[in-house]
Amino acid sequence: MRVIRLTACLTGAAVLALGCGPGADEQPGGRTEITLWQQKFTDQEDAWYKKAVAAYNKAQNKVVLKHQIVPADAWDQKMKAAQAAGKAPDLYTLNYNKAPGFARTGQIQALDPLIPAAKWTGLQEPVLRSVEYKGRKYAYPMLVEPSAVLFYRKDLFAKAGLDPNRPPATWAELISYGKRLTTRDVSGVVTAGNAIDMAWSTWGMQWNAASHLPISDDWAAPRASDPAYRQLLQVYQTLYQQGIMPKQPLAPYADANPIGQGKAAMMVCGSWAASVLLSDYPQLVPNIAAAALPSFDGDSAKPTATLGGWTLVVDAKSKHAQPAADAISWLLAGDTKLLVDYFKTTKFSKYSPRAAVADAVKNDPAAAENPWAKIIEDQVVARAKPEPTYDWAISLAFGKAIEKALQGKDIDAALKAADAEIKEFIAKNDLAGQGS
Amino acid sequence: MLAPLLALLGVFVVWPLVHAAYISFYTWSFYESPVFVGLGNYLDVLTDHEFVGAVLRGLAFSAMVVPAQVAVAFVFAVLVKSLSRRMAAFMKVTIYIPAVISEVIAAIVFSLIYTHRGGLLNWFLALLGKQEDTAWLGESGTALAAVAVPAVWLGVGVASLIMLAGLLDIPETYYECASLDGAGPWTKMFRITLPLMKNIILFLLVTGFAASLQFLVLPLVMTQGGPVDSTTLPNLFIFRHFTNDLYIGYSIAAALLLFAVLGAVSAVIFRLVRSEKAMDG
Repeated sequence: MRVIRLTACLTGAAVLALGCGPGADEQPGGRTEITLWQQKFTDQEDAWYKKAVAAYNKAQNKVVLKHQIVPADAWDQKMKAAQAAGKAPDLYTLNYNKAPGFARTGQIQALDPLIPAAKWTGLQEPVLRSVEYKGRKYAYPMLVEPSAVLFYRKDLFAKAGLDPNRPPATWAELISYGKRLTTRDVSGVVTAGNAIDMAWSTWGMQWNAASHLPISDDWAAPRASDPAYRQLLQVYQTLYQQGIMPKQPLAPYADANPIGQGKAAMMVCGSWAASVLLSDYPQLVPNIAAAALPSFDGDSAKPTATLGGWTLVVDAKSKHAQPAADAISWLLAGDTKLLVDYFKTTKFSKYSPRAAVADAVKNDPAAAENPWAKIIEDQVVARAKPEPTYDWAISLAFGKAIEKALQGKDIDAALKAADAEIKEFIAKNDLAGQGS
Repeated sequence: MLAPLLALLGVFVVWPLVHAAYISFYTWSFYESPVFVGLGNYLDVLTDHEFVGAVLRGLAFSAMVVPAQVAVAFVFAVLVKSLSRRMAAFMKVTIYIPAVISEVIAAIVFSLIYTHRGGLLNWFLALLGKQEDTAWLGESGTALAAVAVPAVWLGVGVASLIMLAGLLDIPETYYECASLDGAGPWTKMFRITLPLMKNIILFLLVTGFAASLQFLVLPLVMTQGGPVDSTTLPNLFIFRHFTNDLYIGYSIAAALLLFAVLGAVSAVIFRLVRSEKAMDG
């Protein structure tokens, strides 16, 4: 009897609490609570997000934007768990290559009905196309950054008898430089060293080697067995087998620390490396130069990198889609000063796809702080391709082929296996005709 | 009396299993209406050479980990049994320490030990005269064995204590009688100790097998499944599909098939090492 009474009391209390208090998404004062999940970036970027969210919460009184930073390696499992529980965030950061897939599978909402047309003007067309699916825009672009830039140590070049002002212009040269620069403590070249990192960091080189990606534009047929890809896999095989690149990755591809720590003479990394080097290794900056990766046929006008980057999207099940889209609009399509501050914070190592912001950034006197920005913009960004938007499995199949080459396996067999894997994936997932 | 137990089993074991089996017949995501595909997901999994490869690799990994774990645990238990009470207590604590260390920490520590340049293992081997450094985690030929070592290390503590408990349960009078009959240490080991430890060894083989086939964190942290999938164990394979695939049906079907593999191999072990009532029972 006592148990029944206690249960009744507790149930009553819970009902009262639910009935009298604010709703789950409502803050005292009638403000609606919406959540933003941001993938963990550098400390400086995280600080910018915090500042921007605080400014948004101060700038209006209808919505409280709750901000949460999620580590990159925990993102997928945390997001899946939240989706399973129906507790996915209202808005979150998403990279370009995932946006069309998420749109196709109904995970995110179209933003063009929620964000006024005027707010979309001034964004670069190729970037806008990469967030479109069936003619609608599903993500609001925040930044673009090239995925592959060659950073190298001028002092180590000079020490090895190489001209510090002449980066390698061909892959044969890069291999030969790498050999001369490799010592027991310093790797001649540090780049992606496992299938996952190679799957995405080589998109630009895949374009460069074969003038296409390993799947046809309409996603109907694999194109990984194109013999033009041999040269790409051969380069990786030579670098690894001759000990020019580390036998075990020193860090994930996106991590720029190996060159800062003196463990690499040349390092392939995204443009974001500049931000890390300028912030954490300022004493090394005069000794580091940047250049585009070499082109396989010597044509420097060909792409050597893809333009990746981050967008904000609204979850398809968000009950507060309009407030979430308003928040995106305020953060990314509003006052240019807020975003200029972001690019300043990241040491001008990223690029805005929004003309007004890009101009303001260019005219900012502090932009000179990044000595590599101009070279990267002229030699890499200007020739870069947008990130591919097909499923990750396609990229991974090609990444595995490069990894097989790295381990000394037959290159033609590796490409053939990737081709077969992509073909199987296309068939199992009805991809044919879904590409652009 | 059985009702609460059955209710708990029903809620926490039977229902999730039945629900998982049910949804494995659908292609679904958290955002779209499920589409019935019958055995389609199972066919996809079974015809995926990567899944078959991951299961076979898991079995090879278990074949490295479990016998080593049981052998080390047995040797340790015999050693501890022969020590003084105080020394035995110290040794038991020492061997149990890895069991309370998280897999993530173990993975990081062993990754540092295996570092190609400047790692502890290569430094030690260089002292012994080895010229070339080995990329233990970077070469497909050595990576799986390199991941197996921390797996053995993590499990040997619990296995040793269970083994020791089994050894202490064997009455001393058996050994005294055997000594009077002139039996030597090896005879005692093969005629008394091992036969009476059969159930303990069977338990360690079955639980060790189930645990080793399901390692996720070690390969995830140490190698991300590479190089060339040489350390992609079944759970890592399923985990990757669960986190990367846009639809979930495939990973659920793969998980259920792995469950079937675990059950089948456990049954084989039971069959090979027949469980019997203790001889003195």
